[in-house]
Amino acid sequence: MKEIIQRLKQQFTISNVNQQRVDLTFLSVKKEQAVSLISYLRDFEKFSHLVFLTAVDRVEDIQFQLTYMLHNYNTHQDLGIRVLIDREKAEMASIHHLWKQAGTYQRELKEMFGIDFPGSPRVDESFILEGWDNIPPMRRDFDTKKYSEETYFPRPGRESHDPESYMKSKLYPEGDA
Amino acid sequence: MSLKDILSPFYVWKRAFEKPYTTANPLTDRPGAPRYRGFHDNDMEKCIGCGTCADICQNAAIDMVPVEGIQTSKEDSGLRPKIDYGRCCWCALCVDICTTNSLNMTREYTWVDTDPDKFRILAGAQENFWTGKETGYKLGEGYKLLDHDRITMPMVDPKEGIKSFIELVKGYSKEQAIKEADRCVQCGLCIATCPAHMDIPNYIKAIREDNIPEAVRILYETNPMSATCGRICTHRCEEVCSIGVNGDPIAIRWLKRYIIDQVDRKEIAKILRNEFKPNGKKVAVIGAGPAGLSAAYYLTTVGYSVTIFETNEKAGGMVRYGIPEYRMPYEQLDKDIDAILDMGVELKTGVEIGVTESFDDIYKNYDAVFLSVGLQDSYSLSITGEHLPGVIPGIQLLDDVTKGQIPDLGKKVIVIGGGNTAMDAARTARRLAANVTILYRRREEDMPADQEEIEEAKREGVKFITRAIPVHIDLGENKKIILHWNKAEMLDQGPGKRPKPVLIVGEAYTEAVDTVISAIGQSPIYKLLPEEIGSQIKFKREKVITDKYGQTSLPKIFAGGDIVNDIADAISAIADGHRAAQGIDLYLSKQVKVK
Repeated sequence: MKEIIQRLKQQFTISNVNQQRVDLTFLSVKKEQAVSLISYLRDFEKFSHLVFLTAVDRVEDIQFQLTYMLHNYNTHQDLGIRVLIDREKAEMASIHHLWKQAGTYQRELKEMFGIDFPGSPRVDESFILEGWDNIPPMRRDFDTKKYSEETYFPRPGRESHDPESYMKSKLYPEGDA
Repeated sequence: MSLKDILSPFYVWKRAFEKPYTTANPLTDRPGAPRYRGFHDNDMEKCIGCGTCADICQNAAIDMVPVEGIQTSKEDSGLRPKIDYGRCCWCALCVDICTTNSLNMTREYTWVDTDPDKFRILAGAQENFWTGKETGYKLGEGYKLLDHDRITMPMVDPKEGIKSFIELVKGYSKEQAIKEADRCVQCGLCIATCPAHMDIPNYIKAIREDNIPEAVRILYETNPMSATCGRICTHRCEEVCSIGVNGDPIAIRWLKRYIIDQVDRKEIAKILRNEFKPNGKKVAVIGAGPAGLSAAYYLTTVGYSVTIFETNEKAGGMVRYGIPEYRMPYEQLDKDIDAILDMGVELKTGVEIGVTESFDDIYKNYDAVFLSVGLQDSYSLSITGEHLPGVIPGIQLLDDVTKGQIPDLGKKVIVIGGGNTAMDAARTARRLAANVTILYRRREEDMPADQEEIEEAKREGVKFITRAIPVHIDLGENKKIILHWNKAEMLDQGPGKRPKPVLIVGEAYTEAVDTVISAIGQSPIYKLLPEEIGSQIKFKREKVITDKYGQTSLPKIFAGGDIVNDIADAISAIADGHRAAQGIDLYLSKQVKVK
């Protein structure tokens, strides 16, 4: 792995290289260099398999973190490529030309996080949330609880008690010690 | 369409009578993965009904409901989670956040029923096919949602501490306080245990949000003496804290102190800004301890004109004259008192009822009287020699030290008793450079003193002799006092009863010391009450009997604090004062405006 990293360093600006396990390494790269670095890994370093593509909402830093997980079948090495992109203008170059299935991941990220991948096939079509009318649900500022309370009706007959007021009614009703 | 397309459906028929390639379902049992998130199970005994599972559930799938056979107590709301599987998304956050680890998920996951209401289940309370089955999901190694470790409180080193009366607890910084506040799950279980029922979860929330004015307002709703209680409260709230089940309870008392440490007296008045109109009614408060001050504060906030009569030179009662300065610095107590006086309460000190002021006059001139005189007398040891010079009551020592009259205790001191006053006397004696031994008739675990008081006393070099009953005291050579004591054994008195110490024959010891301090309890002195008034008030074993609003059998007289409640601590006195203020309001204006 060290040699690969050395070779990468000659051509790309990479940082935060972290070998987490013998067979799992992460590194970060700038948004602009990400697609060419991934292409290089696929075509010259035998990372022929895209394991997954996922995102983390770093709402405090106003950024999304994309992780491209690649696998080399010869050496059974996993390499995670981390890319930070602006959260306000969430857009990233597509890699569907490298792996056809990347289009599906990108469509999912568009729906769940609102990250756009211009040119990716069917990227604007609903993935699983048909008729969704709110902000993308995996964004951290999406209030899941509020949404479920507003959207779904409680089953008739359901009732709940707040421990604090329930204990008051049982142990010290108004004015009692 | 080719010929093959037409014929191929018929090729299938040639295998119609052959043995099928597929096999009969061999997987009759399909166990879930080791960490499978299946149906919930809840250990009813372990669960305390804190409701944190219901709060965290993002699908509002959990209701907290009463369960037959489970009683509401101070440690247990009596409620249990009922899960709606129509909503549950099996995320297991409820299991991750469970404060007691009672809620778990089994590896069972298949269940068919035609009645949708069956899918609302009281996990653990009703028998299901997965009841008692092996637990599946566990939070991954190294991950946790709850923080079990309390932020360490910076303290003065014990060796330094005993050199003076400097305050030992240094207090949290803003960063530390917010971090500690962040550990709270806001279940609210603590509120029932607090005698004043303070809104603990919300003032902790205000700390977390760094909203000190809001926090101060919340404190004053139920307690006008938070600089005091933030230091010396018996903090029983922390004993029932849900985080305390598996970790360190939230440092509730120290967080309260943090709030009040952030504001000065003038800011308090600004935050509380009270726009009441005087209602023309006058209330007298006798005794300026926590109960009296609290009653005065709450009565003033709704327009009563309140005068407090106090025998001592300063207000504060036992908090000032019975608690040493290293625990309760006087300027902090003054801050609480001054903030109350700022509201317009009148304080008359140096008043001795029956001598400088007559009780009858007060009774006549005021619309109501609140009696909060506390316990001024020390219990007698009831052994021969207890009146010898050199045998002094613990509260006497503490009172003297507060007033700056430092007594000469000599080099060797014995303190008899196991309560907080015994610890205070012993640690005060350590600060006066004496070697101190505490003698207690029961075991250490039976001591009524706070655990931390016992531990700090030990750290400061106080020695402990337990199961030791004082027998008699006599005078030795060189003005030494000889204390004769006998080892005791604990005799079981049956279930639910305190074991009784009984002398072991032949195990008698003597100890030659300079001073013996007795601190085995206190009792009230009612000599201020004139005969005809005293005879109309009902008592039970020296305590005044009142209704829930502190009203005595003489309607115009209310009472509270140590002369009424059996707990006899500051926060109970403050709560008594608050309730009596409501009671007086109810009595005088037929309605309760005091919140």
